[in-house]
Amino acid sequence: MNYLRGIWAARYFWWHLSMSDLRSRWRRSFFGLFWSMIQPLGLTLLLSLVFSRIFGMRITEYAPYILSGMIMWEYVVGSVIGGSLAFVQADAYIKQTRHPLAIYTLRNALTGLIVLATASIALVGWVLIVMPQNLGWCWLAALTTFPIVGLVSWPGATITAYIAARFRDLPHALGLIMQAMWFVSPIYFEPSTFRNGDLHALVDFNPIYHLMQIARAPLLHGQWPTLENYAWSLGMIIVLGVIAILVGRRCEKRVIFYL
Amino acid sequence: MTNTIRLRDVNLHYASVAFRERSLKSLVAAWVSQGRSKCDLNDIHALKDISVRVDPGERIGLLGHNGAGKSSFLKMVAGLYPISSGSREVRGTVRSMLDLSLGFEPDATGRENILYRGLLLGLSPKAMRSMEAEIVEFADLGEFIDYPLKTYSVGMQVRLAFAVSTSVGGDILLLDEVVGAGDARFMGKARARIMSLVEQSEIMILASHDLTTVGQLCQRGLVLAGGHIMLDAPIEQAIKFYEENFSK
Repeated sequence: MNYLRGIWAARYFWWHLSMSDLRSRWRRSFFGLFWSMIQPLGLTLLLSLVFSRIFGMRITEYAPYILSGMIMWEYVVGSVIGGSLAFVQADAYIKQTRHPLAIYTLRNALTGLIVLATASIALVGWVLIVMPQNLGWCWLAALTTFPIVGLVSWPGATITAYIAARFRDLPHALGLIMQAMWFVSPIYFEPSTFRNGDLHALVDFNPIYHLMQIARAPLLHGQWPTLENYAWSLGMIIVLGVIAILVGRRCEKRVIFYL
Repeated sequence: MTNTIRLRDVNLHYASVAFRERSLKSLVAAWVSQGRSKCDLNDIHALKDISVRVDPGERIGLLGHNGAGKSSFLKMVAGLYPISSGSREVRGTVRSMLDLSLGFEPDATGRENILYRGLLLGLSPKAMRSMEAEIVEFADLGEFIDYPLKTYSVGMQVRLAFAVSTSVGGDILLLDEVVGAGDARFMGKARARIMSLVEQSEIMILASHDLTTVGQLCQRGLVLAGGHIMLDAPIEQAIKFYEENFSK
């Protein structure tokens, strides 16, 4: 509880850090904020052209699927790998003041969340044009994606940040792990692709699938996400949260030696 | 009025793991080639059995060679380093200026950096805006306050940092080597500022090699060597002791 109070007390500071991250990200670029939308859109166009041929699907409906997978996955990867550098980057602040270390990973998670929100505007626009029949109250459920993915990546980034402060080559290893997770998850590939290959477990027991489904079910199918989707996502938050708290309790004070 | 620092038998070790095995690769490598390590790095024992009691309003100068433990002492008091044994009790809000370049954003202007540094210290944007004019005035940087910080000289950065750190309030002021970078006029102002802070019963600890500054600003001196406190005495005595024993 005290720890949370410390995070709250420093709220102006991490909010400022996050905003200055965004500013420097878009500084001196013509499109600024719009890059967050243009980039995934362009890539989606390219990928869906290829994949829709391979899998024989209609491009207009497959493209939003890829786009939704891409922006959410980008966010998770960005938070976990970017977050693993959070302490190393913030060493100047850590060596000078005593704020709870979790604010530095919160900063990453928050910055990414804002980028994700911007990118999702493009997704929503696309879906509205291509599949207007999906619009309904269930879209409210899609909004819950933001707090949920945020609460998944914050502890996730915190865990990797602690490990990366000790082992500096972790980001490389993480890149590999994330790539592997990408391959076995229905991110660009449809769940049916896995099911046809008799790999049901990769869908049903894959938290990433359930996480994505919270946004995909309403947007792409016009349905409410299932209770199971929420249960898996919540479970992931709790597991990561507990690990992050345990690791933090053990290592927080020693991090300064590693910087 | 209860700003105090109590240190009892404090020991500080720098964990040696911090400079060994810095990658997964080397960890695996060490695991494979067990027991054949080339050199053994031990934990550094930076502070040894430090016992000090500081009362409200005291101004303390830390004297000692490079590596004697001055900075470690300050960072330990600031609570940045975890102590390995003993007890550390610090009452009051700590404001430290330990490393100046840290926490400034080179691309932002001096004025923006005042805000950022204030936020770093945990203040609200509103409180900082109300203090801004006073800080700008004290730093006395003229038109440079609206220039990006990367155009500042070290002395100017010191002035800005000092102005912010001493304006935002706090009970214990920790300074490391830094005040010396200001010019004579600024030093005069800084001295007046420190004196007024101390009158509000604030504690100041200053580590410096500049014996005249220490002599003027402090009333009590701690001489450190090899992580031990060699002498704890009034400042004139401490400076004399330091000059006799260590400056030859």
